Amino acid sequence: MSTEARIEDLLRELAPQVLAMLVRRHGQFDACEDAVQEALVAAALQWPKEGVPDSPRSWLATVASRRLVDEWRSEGARERREESAAALELPVQTHPPAEDDTLTLLFLCCHPSLSPPSQLALTLRAVGGLSTAEIAHAFFVPEATMAQRISRAKQSIKSTGIRFDLPPEPERADRLRVVLHVLYLVFNEGYTASSGPALQRADLTNEAIRLTRMLRRRLPEEGEVAGLLALMLLTDARRAARTEVDGSLVPLDEQRRELWNTAQIEEGVALVTRTLGTVPIGPYQLQAAMAAVHDEAPSAAETDWPQILALYEVLEQVSPSPVVTLNRAVAVAMVDGPRAGLALLGTLDAEDRMARNHRLDAVRGHLLELAGDTDAAREAYARAARMTASVPEQRYLALRAAQVG
Amino acid sequence: MKYMIMTFGEASTMMETKSADWIRKMIEFMHTLNDDLREAGELVDAQGLTDGSQAKTVRFQNGTPVPTDGPFAESKESLVGYWIVDVEGEPRAIEIASRIVAFVEAPIEVRRVADGPPEV
Repeated sequence: MSTEARIEDLLRELAPQVLAMLVRRHGQFDACEDAVQEALVAAALQWPKEGVPDSPRSWLATVASRRLVDEWRSEGARERREESAAALELPVQTHPPAEDDTLTLLFLCCHPSLSPPSQLALTLRAVGGLSTAEIAHAFFVPEATMAQRISRAKQSIKSTGIRFDLPPEPERADRLRVVLHVLYLVFNEGYTASSGPALQRADLTNEAIRLTRMLRRRLPEEGEVAGLLALMLLTDARRAARTEVDGSLVPLDEQRRELWNTAQIEEGVALVTRTLGTVPIGPYQLQAAMAAVHDEAPSAAETDWPQILALYEVLEQVSPSPVVTLNRAVAVAMVDGPRAGLALLGTLDAEDRMARNHRLDAVRGHLLELAGDTDAAREAYARAARMTASVPEQRYLALRAAQVG
Repeated sequence: MKYMIMTFGEASTMMETKSADWIRKMIEFMHTLNDDLREAGELVDAQGLTDGSQAKTVRFQNGTPVPTDGPFAESKESLVGYWIVDVEGEPRAIEIASRIVAFVEAPIEVRRVADGPPEV
């Protein structure tokens, strides 16, 4: 790894710790966050030339604190300014705080009062240490738009008076669910880009995996954290095989399995194996277990579909949703034949939530094709292609429709 | 100078009239084209839109905005995708459009993106 890359990793690891330290000391999440970003920029410029300081954490904290003082000197009420400046004269803590505040920061950025796009953006900036420009680039939106989104999210934290504390025990499970969902969305945004020409955006998937790893180090006992990490690793392991050079999609059963990342599969499988059965079961663990079954099959034909179907049956009990039923229908078709799968799909037609979801017709097209009903398959693919919001998927579905014969 | 290069039509027509082989070649063509434009430093943005059947048109009816289903233009004439290119002049924009037309065999519109007001 190059010096620059090592420094970047270090900065991204330290960013939330330093930010949390400042917020603890001064409150004012928004001002502290800006100051830490400036300190990160300064470090990224200086460290490669002058070397990494002995205590990088306190270097960043000192520089960020100075920025805060400068900020307060240049604007704001005189009294508050003087008080804050006095508070900042305190020596900067050189040891990491006993209580790790990175987790608190993550809970703050994923506060339920913020909209999901704000949660995502704020998490990537404040916990991930990414710059606004990098986040904007990852989401394909203009930098000014992303800056505004982040600024509003920070404003909203300020105005609702959210405290910088871990959520109280009774709320903890619900709040953790939101955090996991945000990380899952970041991953998904990277894996199946919801819009735009590029189907996979590796930066976001890597970032989601990094943040989930970080969360797991802090909450090793939480089965769903381990489950989510395993799910990400096992899904991302197929990245190289998932698209052609020209960006078009390759379905799971046609992927060249030798391109799969075996180290990531091993890590994911080990995580699932260790977690399943030892903690309360949850949807991420179950989805990870299914991904593991796929990843461990030497070929598509050797996939253990009865095992996947059994897992879907449990998942449908733990966390029922039309999307789960849709996926179970595929497993049913593989175990009991396409007609059985189609019958289950039929139960979803009345679901409002599925009416505008292209996947229902995409799966139907696939099962009809397996059943040999080519005309109906072509129509289903065509309907799905008209509904999808992804250009590569639209083309893939058009291709399937044209190939049915 | 910035130009918008626009394609029209609907995905369903493509599926009914084109072969799998053509679609595969089209995917490759678009990929190569975007790469070339990017390498030349001419690509500002390129986007495909969802099918026109998914569009909503908000009309002004009886004094209020009313959302209606469907695209503004007729489905077969509705916008499906665009490129914004920053090029030396109109001949180059037309050259790019011609390359697309030669492949898709359908008309394409080239429009200059309006300049900002002159500096005072």
